[in-house]
Amino acid sequence: MNQRRLTAIILALALSLPLFAQSKGESTIVFTPQWTAQAQFAGYYAALELGFYKEEGLEVVIEHPNASRSAIDRMRKNQSQVTTLPLSQAIFALDSGVKLVNLLQTSMNGSLMIVSRRGVNPLKQKGARVASFRAGYDQLARAVANELGLEYEWLETASLLNLFIAGAVDASVAMSFNEYYQFLQTGLIERNEDIVYRLSDHGYNIQEEGLYMTREEYDKNPERARKFARASQRGWEWVAYHQEEALEIVMRQIHRNHEATNPTLQRLMLEEVLDLMEGYESGEREYVLRGEMVNQAVALMLKAGIIRTEHTIKELLP
Amino acid sequence: MRIGHRLRSSLSARISLWTVLFAAIVFIISISVVAFRSRNAVREEAIKGANRVLENTILRTNYILEDVEDIANNLEWLILKDLDNPDAMMEYSHSIVQNNTILNGCSISFEPYFYPQKGKYFSAYSNNNGRYVYTMQEGSDNYQYFYLNWYMLPKLLMQPCWTEPYTDQEEGDEATMNLEMNVSYCKPIIGNDGNFIGVISLDISLKWLSETISAVKPYPNAYAFLLGRGGCYLVHPDPQKLFYESFFTPGLVYALTPEQKQLGKDMLDWKEGIRRLEVDGDPSFVIFRPILTTGWSLAIVCPESDIFGGFRRFRNTLLLSLILGLILMFLVMYFIIHRQIRPLSRLASHAETMASGNLDVELPHMDRTDEVGVLNRTFRYMQVSLRKYIDELTTATAKRERIEGELQIARDIQMGMVPSTFPAFPDRQDIDLYASMSPAKEVGGDLYDYFIKDQNLYFAVADVSGKGVPASLFMAVVRNLFRVVGSAGLPPEEIARQINNTLSEDNEQLMFITMFIGRINLEDGSLSFCNCGHNPPVLLKDKPEFMQCEPNVPLGIAPGFQFNGQSIEGFRGTPILLYTDGLNEAENSAHEELGNERLLQSLATNPFKDAKTTVLMLQGVVSAHVGDAEQSDDLTLLCINLKP
Repeated sequence: MNQRRLTAIILALALSLPLFAQSKGESTIVFTPQWTAQAQFAGYYAALELGFYKEEGLEVVIEHPNASRSAIDRMRKNQSQVTTLPLSQAIFALDSGVKLVNLLQTSMNGSLMIVSRRGVNPLKQKGARVASFRAGYDQLARAVANELGLEYEWLETASLLNLFIAGAVDASVAMSFNEYYQFLQTGLIERNEDIVYRLSDHGYNIQEEGLYMTREEYDKNPERARKFARASQRGWEWVAYHQEEALEIVMRQIHRNHEATNPTLQRLMLEEVLDLMEGYESGEREYVLRGEMVNQAVALMLKAGIIRTEHTIKELLP
Repeated sequence: MRIGHRLRSSLSARISLWTVLFAAIVFIISISVVAFRSRNAVREEAIKGANRVLENTILRTNYILEDVEDIANNLEWLILKDLDNPDAMMEYSHSIVQNNTILNGCSISFEPYFYPQKGKYFSAYSNNNGRYVYTMQEGSDNYQYFYLNWYMLPKLLMQPCWTEPYTDQEEGDEATMNLEMNVSYCKPIIGNDGNFIGVISLDISLKWLSETISAVKPYPNAYAFLLGRGGCYLVHPDPQKLFYESFFTPGLVYALTPEQKQLGKDMLDWKEGIRRLEVDGDPSFVIFRPILTTGWSLAIVCPESDIFGGFRRFRNTLLLSLILGLILMFLVMYFIIHRQIRPLSRLASHAETMASGNLDVELPHMDRTDEVGVLNRTFRYMQVSLRKYIDELTTATAKRERIEGELQIARDIQMGMVPSTFPAFPDRQDIDLYASMSPAKEVGGDLYDYFIKDQNLYFAVADVSGKGVPASLFMAVVRNLFRVVGSAGLPPEEIARQINNTLSEDNEQLMFITMFIGRINLEDGSLSFCNCGHNPPVLLKDKPEFMQCEPNVPLGIAPGFQFNGQSIEGFRGTPILLYTDGLNEAENSAHEELGNERLLQSLATNPFKDAKTTVLMLQGVVSAHVGDAEQSDDLTLLCINLKP
């Protein structure tokens, strides 16, 4: 079973990583994106391949997490120094006692959605069985469902797509740039069907992906963190203007990591991710964490009982 | 242009062409029917063949999958029997893999803390790595199996199921990456109390299935592919698509055709069928069937160009043979027909010469008894007949020309017999006289004449029965008699009596003549006259009227008749018009006569001015009435006015 073999490999990697990291010295940054290799992280791959990190004097290694172990766990255990997280996941981590610093905010919009497997509007599926990411990232979906009184039964899984295909769930959370296209690709749903509830279309547009570092790590060398953020932003800007070349870099990363995907999905993902990076009002890539979005996320998650205490943007800023 | 001219001018070419065209139509219809039926048969055979391959592959797959299901059922019984002994699970897992070579893995996994002594995770996993079977407890914080599909699916569905296939990739060079297809059968373990307690998962390799399906190639460019439940390609000749791409992936970028979409839907819905659609730009047949055990769908794509390749080659050869055969047929027919009708061409050539007037041309000699021979003989007979006819025609024409010449002379003589110089009496200013005579044929039977004898103006108008030469000769006799008898100074009735007696003698032809004889005394202006059966003259007074005449018989009928004369005193100043029936009985093309009424009306509307004007006017009236019709009778007019 592939998951098992992959697990064995990841396990071996995880055990060796602290030693591995140490052996590379303090200037080496192990960057663990929040998910497996895909176009969602094109800017970082580009910054690495084009030497933007090196130009900042940084040694960077990109290590992806496995399906059943989240990136934040790896960071907690110092297996990596930097990760990407959706804003809601960062707030959740804060609430769990992990102090994080937002180095760079790439996403300016929310991509989270709930997609029905039964061909009906998710809002009409009260009490439905909804698949969610084992690795997290779905806090806002849960909070909004709570707000709307939908009383979903949430099923955490590392095999979202398989449960969706088998019809073992009534609906699933999805990112507009990733799982949504995977679901469309199965032929089981169609784009024009009224089966998608996209949070950002209903007053819950809360930015997602940003670069995070533990505050402890950040305080060790703030300049290093700034350099990492600067080179990463440069990587994303390059990707925005060189999408075809960026796609080639992404596909090379995917092949290296043996991920099951295809160029069509990655192209669509890259286009969507770049769209999400543009500010709703400005239409430009702003790279700014917005206080009102932080507040809205905190309020929703508090109300749903996902977090226990109030948090502000200040806790996340350097 | 040259070919068109050749076709128009050559009967053999035309007959050959029409025959070949007809044959071509018959052949083409026959070949089309045969081709249509053959094409259908070829297609049916191809579909049958593909279906057989599909059926066999699916049967074999099901057979193995059912074996695995049986193993799982037996294992469940053992597990439930020793449920309180977790170490037994390790043994069962090991021995199941050890004893069933089709399995390459087995896990017996339980819910968290099911065995408190074993902690949160307990999953007895055995694997056959090809060399030996190893067994381990694989659950851990790094491998939280509760969240994986092989565990979650049977738990959520509460029934056994097959996972979607997955690849067991080995690390290494990408180009040599092993893409072996594996699949797991997962069965929920239900405790004695009916609760879900764990999952049996049996892993098998479907490498043989990949190889079997990949080897399906009923035609050079045909191929088979296998779709998973999510439309994913599990087997496909393009390795880039395997496991990574779905049937619907292209639809993310551009709309699939309705046919493609329907095929995908049908395959996902586990239907079986045949679809004709374009695959990679080639019209193809896709024959598909589901593997119901797992919910996958197997399809064979057969490009039409492959299926009908042999058929098309056969059809093209047939068409080429047909075209060559028809050309040969045309040439042979042309040669035979041309040879058969060559005498006709010669005959046509001779006929052309004959048509130009040369009847002496020598016609070919022919012994043939067929239609061509008959035609040749007919031509010969026609040539002789034509010669004879033309000889006779030449003689007859010469004769007619001679007669026509003589008649012309006779006409001149006849016209010379009546006075034709006007004014008739230049020295007599009181006499206004004008006359005209127009025979219907070359010569006629009408007569007019006048002369002065002893201060008497004698005049007459006559019309011999019949027309033509006999009438003209009779007229000449009457004219001479009138001159001779009139010159004796006799009254008109006496002149009539003597002429009648003379004509009646030896009148074997029984011809007769109507005649109006008049005498105007130039001194006292009286008129005496005798009308012998002739049309009554018209007195051209202010209101023209017919003269009242006593009836007398025409002249020449029988001798001895007495004729009654009449007199009118003071006739001077009253113009008189004498005429023959060629005036009032002149017919137009509808055979309508001019008639007495129209005659009087014409004279009334054109009041008398002088004799010549009146005569010419009446000639105009007759001409207008007759129009294009042939002149039916001789027309003679004589108008006299003795001026006061």
